[in-house]
Amino acid sequence: MKGLPIRLRLTLAFAVAVGVVLAATGLFVYLQQESALDRTVNQGLRARAADVTALAQQADSGLREGRGAAADSSGFAQVLTSAGRVVDATPGLPPRPLLQAHELAHLGSQGRFISYTLSRERVRLLAVRVHAQDSNRVVVVGTSLEPRLTALDDLRTELLIGGPIALILVSLGGYLLAAAALRPVDQMGEQAATISAANPGQRLRLPPADDELARLGRRLNDMLARLEAALERERGFVANASHELRTPLALLKTELELTLDEPASIDAYRAALRSAHDEADRLSQLAEDLLLIAQADAQTMPIRRSTITVADMLSAVAARYQRRAADTGRTITVDAPADLTLLADRFRLEQALANLIDNSLRYGSGPIRLAAAEDPQQVEIEVSDEGPGFPPEFLHRAFERFSRPDQARSRDGVGLGLAIVTAIMAAHSGSATASNRVGGGASVTLTLFRPHGADHRLSGVPSIPAMPSVASVTDNSSAISNL
Amino acid sequence: MKVLVVEDELKMASLLLRGFRNNGHAADIARTGEDASWMAAAAEYDVIVLDVMLPGRDGFATCTALREAGVWTPVLMLTARGSVEDRVRGLDVGADDYLVKPFSFAELLARVRALVRRGDRPRPAVLNVGALRLDPATRQVWRDTSEIELTAKEFALLEAFMRRPGQVLTRDQLLEQAWDIGYDNRSNVIAVYVNYLREKIDRPFGTRSLETVRGAGYRLRERE
Repeated sequence: MKGLPIRLRLTLAFAVAVGVVLAATGLFVYLQQESALDRTVNQGLRARAADVTALAQQADSGLREGRGAAADSSGFAQVLTSAGRVVDATPGLPPRPLLQAHELAHLGSQGRFISYTLSRERVRLLAVRVHAQDSNRVVVVGTSLEPRLTALDDLRTELLIGGPIALILVSLGGYLLAAAALRPVDQMGEQAATISAANPGQRLRLPPADDELARLGRRLNDMLARLEAALERERGFVANASHELRTPLALLKTELELTLDEPASIDAYRAALRSAHDEADRLSQLAEDLLLIAQADAQTMPIRRSTITVADMLSAVAARYQRRAADTGRTITVDAPADLTLLADRFRLEQALANLIDNSLRYGSGPIRLAAAEDPQQVEIEVSDEGPGFPPEFLHRAFERFSRPDQARSRDGVGLGLAIVTAIMAAHSGSATASNRVGGGASVTLTLFRPHGADHRLSGVPSIPAMPSVASVTDNSSAISNL
Repeated sequence: MKVLVVEDELKMASLLLRGFRNNGHAADIARTGEDASWMAAAAEYDVIVLDVMLPGRDGFATCTALREAGVWTPVLMLTARGSVEDRVRGLDVGADDYLVKPFSFAELLARVRALVRRGDRPRPAVLNVGALRLDPATRQVWRDTSEIELTAKEFALLEAFMRRPGQVLTRDQLLEQAWDIGYDNRSNVIAVYVNYLREKIDRPFGTRSLETVRGAGYRLRERE
């Protein structure tokens, strides 16, 4: 059963059900007909018995002469004394009584129906006790059951032939119906077979009616739309990434080609090598960023959590950028509770903070403030400045990959910095939000949720030495993923 | 040879400048598309090397603007955007060549030389004759502002006429332009299609721009 195609299974189940219904109906009709015929026979016998009784009241009942209604073609009658002697009988009957003495003894006044085989013919008798001419008589009327049996035989034959024919016709219809109902499934399957990454915009044609198939088709189409969007994002990412890789590669190649083609001094070679070195740096930074993003997408970014004293970490990152800030007359201040600690990957968090400070140094102005605050559920680290802030139209896509306020390529970055911040926060099950401060300036807040019931506050210890960062980007082989 | 380099990326711009000068060419730099437009109009350049990713107006828009301003200097697009869509778009907005970064400078020079050989005669991406306008890239045709639907053959025929406005084109020339070699040129297929074309580009507008020149062929009038 399981191995059969669904339309055959449906048809078989349907045929069995129809077969049962047909058989039950046939049986019912047959029995109904049988009892109806029985009733007719019995009524006929009673009427004849009344007839013959009336005749028996007279001196000469005259059955032999075929008088009265008793003598129709299929009927016969006999009048007996209560002892069983034949008083009168219709012609053609054997001269002996139709009933045995013991049968006569048990007759009630209502009479009794007896089935009987008379000279190889099925007959039914009705025997009634009557009082006629001052003595007890028994009137026996009978009729052949052959017409009834023939009628029932005919009916049975009709049912046995007609039923299976009807069953076959109905099953065939059911099969065709099932095939028609399943045809849209086949068609959808054929269409689905043609959809691939080469034509991700293709959709299944939906049947016009709003039924199970249409719903299935809609769900599949929704799935295709989601896959198409994912594919589109993936392609966009690859296109952007290759575009960003081409620029430093072009500079590198052109620089080397031109320098090799022209007679040059040692200084010129040195300048060319320095330039090539810069581009190689950019390329390797870009490769690292892309790797990080790819890891975040695959949810395989290695996160090594350790307990971090937030104030220490912020001071360490700030110290790294202090000189660059001072070059443009800016300051970096840290404002964090000394005893605030956090369970996170310090290397990654510092990377995120460094990206934010770097952004502020490039595009912002005024003092940069690193602030941390906590409540029982979460720790928030905010990096803010007092510069022009984010362009309003850029704010909603600030964390998108390769998104820059000015879509033209600029040497200032490829637009991955904030995307990496988000990726790092996502790997920590945290979040990053960007906003413009009311008084002016950009603000990015990193939110890290605390595990339930954990208290990472070190009571009574104002600060502990910063732990050395233990993870490195290149150290993937031994990395333990916490995800 | 004089080259206009349109490039916002300083390092790339100076490298290109150095390369062209090393090879004995004069080169100027424009940092934006707007600068490129007025510089190209103000001085005679033999070729323009145009970046696509520019601040403000990008390279595609700059190229369109140059052609609209009647600057037919050959344009070579030099960009990191290498997708087929970008190349097609660049060429369709009127660029004459498209080179993807990273590139070989020797190839860039060779392509620039080839472009200069072709000269700066008008090579519009969209053809205009009288009130008729035809865009071979999108296969659209307009008379003034109303778009006209043409079949492929009608389009090919009209394009042939619009590339030689005012000239008489013989039946043989038209057959060559729009039909395959070996087509039975004794048939009157050209007459039939010229009539179809008239039904679509002239009759609905009450104009008679497509003329029959008895004994010679057909001509699309430059002025109606």
